[in-house]
Amino acid sequence: MSDHDHDHDHERTVAPMVDEITDFEVLEIALRELCIEKGIFTAEEHRLMTEFAEQIGPTPAAHLVAKAWLDPEFKKLALAEPMTASKEVGVDWLHPTGWGTPSDFTAFQILADTPTVHNVIVCALCSCYPRPILGNSPEWYRTPNYRRRLVRWPRQVLAEFGLYLPDEITVHVQDSNQKHRFMVMPLQPEGTEDWSEDQLVEIITRDCLIGVALPKAGVTTNVITDTRPAIHPGNAG
Amino acid sequence: MTERIKTLDEIVERNQVWPVMAAKWGVQNPVPPWKTSLDGLCDALDRAACDENIPDFKQRRDEEDALSASVYASLPYPENQLVALAHSLVARGVIDEAELKQRLAIIRDRLEA
Repeated sequence: MSDHDHDHDHERTVAPMVDEITDFEVLEIALRELCIEKGIFTAEEHRLMTEFAEQIGPTPAAHLVAKAWLDPEFKKLALAEPMTASKEVGVDWLHPTGWGTPSDFTAFQILADTPTVHNVIVCALCSCYPRPILGNSPEWYRTPNYRRRLVRWPRQVLAEFGLYLPDEITVHVQDSNQKHRFMVMPLQPEGTEDWSEDQLVEIITRDCLIGVALPKAGVTTNVITDTRPAIHPGNAG
Repeated sequence: MTERIKTLDEIVERNQVWPVMAAKWGVQNPVPPWKTSLDGLCDALDRAACDENIPDFKQRRDEEDALSASVYASLPYPENQLVALAHSLVARGVIDEAELKQRLAIIRDRLEA
C-alpha cells in the first residue's frame, strides 16, 4: 500500500499557506533573538508568553455570562467575586498561564447591564483589556480613535458598530487601567429563555462582552469595522 | 523618536504586508503567523521593563501609537505594531541599527537555506 493509497484530495484538505519568507517574519525573529542574547528575557519566558497568547480567547467569558443567565446564584457570585466565578470557567486570574502572570494582571470586575444602564469598556490610556478571560483585544480596541472618542461621544461610537441605544438607556463607559480590568455582562435577549448554556455561548460574542454589541438570537459573529486612523490636530491643516 | 531608521524604511518599502501576501497565496488567516510570537515578545519585554532603556508597557504603547500614526502610517496592523516596536528599541539604544541589519541578513539566509 503506497503512502497515497487513500481517497482524499490533498488539494482540498491542506489549507494554503504563504510559502515565502517575509521581511516582517524575519524582523520579528531578529528582535526576539537579539533581546534574548542581551539577556532582556529568556527563550523560555518568550515561549511561555507566546503559548499564553495562543490559547486565550473569549470562550471562557461567554460561558461565564451564559452560566450567570441560567443560574441567579452564579450571577451573584460573578458580580461579588468575579475571580472565583472566573475559576469556574477555567480562568485563574492569579495564575492565568499556570506559571505566573503576564504584564496585565489586575483586579477584575464584571459590569452587569440592566434595563436602564448599558456598559461598555475602553482603555483611554493605552489598550488594557481582560486578556485572560477575553483573549487578545481586537485591532480597533487598540486604536487612539476608539479610545479617545468613546469616552467623549459613546452613543456615536456605538452607532458605528450598529448599536443604537434609546435615550432612556444610560451609557456607562468604564475606563480600564493598569490595576483594574472589566468585562460586560449583557442582558439575556428575549427568545432565548429555554436555551442551553452551549446555545447561549454562541451568541455571547466578544463584541457583546466589550459592550459594542448586544446579544441576539441568530447573531454569532462580531461586527466588522473599518479601523479609522487618528486625526492629529497639528497635522490636520 | 520619529527620526527615520533606514533599515526599517527598507522593510516598509518592500511592502510584504500580510494582506498582500495572503491575497497572493490565497490564505484566509486574518493575521500573519508571527503575530502570537510578537505578542509573547511584547509581554516578555513588559516584564523586563525595569531594566535601563527598555520601554514599560505604557511607553511601548504610546510610542507604537505615535509611530503608527506618523512614520509607519502606511503599514497595516500588526505590521505597524512590529515595526514600531523595532523602532522604539533602536531609538532607545537597546538594539543597534547595524546589528539589527546584520541579524536580518543572517536570519533570512538561515530561513532560505
